[in-house]
Amino acid sequence: MHKVASACWLLISLAAPSVVGLNAQSLLVRLDGDNLRITAPQLQFLVGKPLTRLKDGATAGFLGQLTLSTDANRTLQARAIARFVMSYDIWEERFSVTQIETTTRTAARRTISHLSAQAAQNWCLENLTLDLSRVPTDKPFWIRLEVRAEEPRDSAGVIGEPGINLTRLIEIFSRPSGAKSQTWTLESGPLRLADLKRAEPRRAG
Amino acid sequence: MKFLRAGSLVGGGALMFVLGLSSELVAAQFPATRITAEDNVNTRYTVESIELSGDVKPASFSSTLRENIQSIIGERFNPDQLQDLARQIRKELHLKSVTPHLLRGSTSEQVKVVFEATRRSIQFDVSVPKFLYHSKQGWSAQVEASTTVAHNAFTFGIVSDGDELTERFAGIVARYENLHAGSDRVHLGFQFESYHEQWNRATLLAIDRPYAFDSESTVPGIYRTRQNYQPVATFVVSKPLSITVGASFEQMGLQNGGTQSANAMIAGIRYRHAGEPGAASRQDIDAAYSLRAASRGWGSDFSYTRHRLGARYAIARGRQTLSDEVTAGFIAGQAPLFERFVLGTSSLLRGWNRYEIDPLGGNRIVHNSVEYGCRIAEGAGQVFYDAGTLFSRGQSSTVRHSLGIGYRQGVFSVALAFPLREGRVDPILMVGMNY
Repeated sequence: MHKVASACWLLISLAAPSVVGLNAQSLLVRLDGDNLRITAPQLQFLVGKPLTRLKDGATAGFLGQLTLSTDANRTLQARAIARFVMSYDIWEERFSVTQIETTTRTAARRTISHLSAQAAQNWCLENLTLDLSRVPTDKPFWIRLEVRAEEPRDSAGVIGEPGINLTRLIEIFSRPSGAKSQTWTLESGPLRLADLKRAEPRRAG
Repeated sequence: MKFLRAGSLVGGGALMFVLGLSSELVAAQFPATRITAEDNVNTRYTVESIELSGDVKPASFSSTLRENIQSIIGERFNPDQLQDLARQIRKELHLKSVTPHLLRGSTSEQVKVVFEATRRSIQFDVSVPKFLYHSKQGWSAQVEASTTVAHNAFTFGIVSDGDELTERFAGIVARYENLHAGSDRVHLGFQFESYHEQWNRATLLAIDRPYAFDSESTVPGIYRTRQNYQPVATFVVSKPLSITVGASFEQMGLQNGGTQSANAMIAGIRYRHAGEPGAASRQDIDAAYSLRAASRGWGSDFSYTRHRLGARYAIARGRQTLSDEVTAGFIAGQAPLFERFVLGTSSLLRGWNRYEIDPLGGNRIVHNSVEYGCRIAEGAGQVFYDAGTLFSRGQSSTVRHSLGIGYRQGVFSVALAFPLREGRVDPILMVGMNY
């Protein structure tokens, strides 16, 4: 079972050409108060089609997932998921990021603007944290970060007022398969809680 | 590998399998959370101008599309409106894609919009405007191919419909429309229809019974085929208001080999106002009146006047919508069966079997439908209440009621409707699109 699961992960990794794998060392993990935070200096997800859409004045959505496991990313111990919507100010040439958080009934939004591309990406990762109480104190663990660019809905033009447009449907299915959503994955581990550095305490004000 | 629910992920220390960032997981974490116009920082700018790039000329736009473009200039940038406009341009000009680009305007408060258009290698659309499965009536469907050359739109379609009329009709539709007859506000069109009819047994039995004849006008006999030649002119008075006038020359092939004609003058007026797409609160109004007047002076075997009035008002706030739709109709004189009104369809008195109400249809109709919808995931759950009466002159009118529930996502709907009556209740299932 163990080998089968490992083989599955290997196959999934090989069969996903859009997944950009990065070196494990590029995901840095630290402690900050009651949270476990990450930084990924080498990670650039504001690239390609999402960036083109942003520069055209549209919005681009990103989903981030941080998982903690105790056996090399096979068994999940804790998970955090966040959704971010970015836009690019045409005049100021700066990025704006909105984090959408859902409660039981409503969607709360937190927005930060006037950011450089790097600062916008960092803000997303800063807001992707794991509760320290979920981190095992007595055994090693692995951290995995996954960022996925949301594809804009492509059903536009297929279904509308005149019903189903078969011509448009054929066009969409005729596209090369490479036009899938982009995903970036980073991993770090095995780590021990005692070895993690604490973040510098932030100055008040 | 769905071994867990997203809701349990933040729970106790049970072992869980690592899953990727699947669509199901995201949908569970962010139910009904949409990216809104307010999430775009550029909404603080005003649209200075709208341009087109590629092999597309604004002169080929309809007056409605031009008015829609003009209405955005000078307003705050709204990405939802822009996407909607791009869809309209693509649909009207049968383009492969229309991509909006945002550029800096002449001042720091303004932006320019450039629509980049890409043409198709084949300049026509094939679409399915309607399909429906009705548990009492079976399937109804329509397939159309359309193309536009300069200001000329050509459409050819095949149809089999057991929902709209007393009979099932199947055949072809060919339509030509000139979208710029001297002015953008005048459209000239010609439609040809040719159908074969199939009659329900209940209708065939009813037409032979003497009491089926009402006091004013006899119910005419059935026909096997029907052809319609219909020239029309449409005048777009303003963006929401249009007037149509024309003529309809219908020829029916009878069982005995003979023919009958129903030649009529047709006229209609329509007011249609749609709220701003993507707005948190919107109101839609759609009202139409149509008149068909056949006279023996036109070489018609029938002489009648048919009036039909329909009005729909819908209000949407946040996740909820409420709509009311009224239909009323009246026929004076002797009209062929295809002109008679029907209740118990997929939109009128849903849940009732039309052949139980009146297998011949009626020449008086009053109907009201109230519908409440609440957004659930990507679609909307719906509850509706229909009430209506169908009768002919000299007959008493009986008001019938029905209730139903449904789910709509875009143009797709599934609904289960129940007639409100004593005795056995036989629900009707409807599944389809644009019905």
